[in-house]
Amino acid sequence: MSPVQAPPANDPTKSSMNWADDVDDEDAPRIEERDEGNGIKVIIEYRTNAEGKKVKITRRIKRTLIKTKVNHEVAERKGWVKFGQEKGKPTGPHSATTTVGENVLLKMSAGNKKAEPEVDEMDKVRKQLADKKIQCRLCKGDHFTTKCPYKDTLEAIPGAGGAETPEGGDGTLTPAAMDLSNPAVGASAGGSGGKYVPPSMRAGAKGAGEKMGGGPGGGSASRDDLPTLRVTNLSEDADDDDLRELFSRYGRVIRVYVGRDRETGICKGYAFVSFESREDADRARQKVDGKGYDNLILSCQWSLPRGERPA
Amino acid sequence: MRPILLSGHERSLNQIKFNREGDLLFSVSKDNIVNAWFSHNGERLGTYEGHNGTVWSVDVDATSTLLITGSADNQMRLWEVSSGKCLFVWEFNTAAKRVAFSEDSTQVLVVTEARMGYRGAVQVFRINRDPDTWTEQSKQPTRTITFSGPKATVAAFAPLDQYIVTGHENGKVALYYHDEKDPETGIDAELEEKSVDAHGGEVITDLQMSSDRTYFVTSGKDKSAKLIDTKTLQIIKTYATETPLNSASIHPTKPYIIVGGGQEAMNVTTTSARQGRFETRFWHKVFEEECARLPGHFGPINTIAIHPAGKAYASGGEDGYVRVNWFDPGFFNSKLYGPDLELSLEDQ
Repeated sequence: MSPVQAPPANDPTKSSMNWADDVDDEDAPRIEERDEGNGIKVIIEYRTNAEGKKVKITRRIKRTLIKTKVNHEVAERKGWVKFGQEKGKPTGPHSATTTVGENVLLKMSAGNKKAEPEVDEMDKVRKQLADKKIQCRLCKGDHFTTKCPYKDTLEAIPGAGGAETPEGGDGTLTPAAMDLSNPAVGASAGGSGGKYVPPSMRAGAKGAGEKMGGGPGGGSASRDDLPTLRVTNLSEDADDDDLRELFSRYGRVIRVYVGRDRETGICKGYAFVSFESREDADRARQKVDGKGYDNLILSCQWSLPRGERPA
Repeated sequence: MRPILLSGHERSLNQIKFNREGDLLFSVSKDNIVNAWFSHNGERLGTYEGHNGTVWSVDVDATSTLLITGSADNQMRLWEVSSGKCLFVWEFNTAAKRVAFSEDSTQVLVVTEARMGYRGAVQVFRINRDPDTWTEQSKQPTRTITFSGPKATVAAFAPLDQYIVTGHENGKVALYYHDEKDPETGIDAELEEKSVDAHGGEVITDLQMSSDRTYFVTSGKDKSAKLIDTKTLQIIKTYATETPLNSASIHPTKPYIIVGGGQEAMNVTTTSARQGRFETRFWHKVFEEECARLPGHFGPINTIAIHPAGKAYASGGEDGYVRVNWFDPGFFNSKLYGPDLELSLEDQ
């Protein structure tokens, strides 16, 4: 430890020094050290704090020597002389090369922490299109409709689709149209008399367009079919991961939706959790309902489908 | 757990290695310095200077007297651990990508790169361990295995130095019989005893033996690590993560595999640290489940080493830091799967 630094105020050499150093010296804290025995050391520090007040900081440090037994060879290696870039440096770690990092917590827990495998969006599209074939709407051959050799002859026949198809009369296939699961194509291929049917009205409609509207007639089937729990009285700090962690112990969680304030993004106190199986969901409902979580008592009920929900 | 950060390198780490007692840690990186550290407090013992290029690989012998390094300046160097003196230099036609001592430390294997018309190869050298004459080493390899197909990226000696295991750029793991008395030189197709496609065509980034060398773990860019039996090359366990892996290591006393990796270094600037998944992950060796993650590095983790007694582990990253983590007592006391499923001490 550095010894007590007495500011040499009337040192003659001082006057010739830079004024900046002078100020530094006045600010330098006065440190007193005292040994209390038993390995306890008291360090008292007097300094001026940010508000210009004088403060006294007393620190009591106890040093305990921890002895560990090591192999003879290890003990011998500790006495090795430093070499290379460390040549001539004193023993002990040097702050230029060695620092102590922030405390990290290694929490071991059973069960896979792996979230649902993350799918690359591009991969998904590519995979979807991989087994889709280009199909001509006129002759069902594997070419674009515009390239159809029977274009002129078949287009005139009403039953063969042609100009009335929803994808536009020019007959070109956009990538979305190539996707046969897309209701637009499905409907036209299904031969609904060539009449335009809005996507939401189509039988078995289930496509990207539905997700937005989620009207009572069609769509959102996959969402409502899943056994879903409504969790209320949640804390503001709760997020998707917290809920996933809370519920995944009862079964496989498919989807977590946390109601958030549109502006601030903080939790509004409710969330929906969808499970894969109804039994798991029921078990989770019984266990979580009334459970204390983050100083609040959770309430957990079955989520009612949109239609049955009281307005 | 407070990690000790070692910042003796200016560039990304390539390999780190504990010595047999675990009191010393050696690290090599893309700058041309080899560092030696005391693992208990992170004090740097010294540096080994002489290489003129990226140092790809490092290994220390069982008695911590000799150190071997392989570098991109086409050299393999032998050093005296205690003094930092370079004892001998071997020159090759291409870079030395991986070096490893045999179990009895009398032989050294080196994997050389396939480049400039030269084929990749594994060469084995006999090491003269006599302190009076150890500056004189044989320049002639005792055997050379040349790879006609995909080059090897990693290699190690199997138990009792009877076999050499290699990991290849196409995900293949191969086994070669090694007889010290009658070493056979030739091309891989003739000498290969067994092989297995462990990583589905992707490059194998690391291969580390268990403490008794009867099985080993490989990590690959196919985002998985595999536990493989040394004798039969049977894949015992698979640890499938969601990020390309650069290193994997087997904990000697607890049933864990520590793996590290992250997104490719070239893409790092385009993603946040969280997305890049630059954490070390602890996988249960038997149940193939991820048990913990430990963040810390600001870039992909390039190399992981575990203290031979299992008390600590160190990871070296693309960010140029080595982090040494000494495990808390809680790590050793935890019984994740209940007392019944905990392995008894003699089985670990």
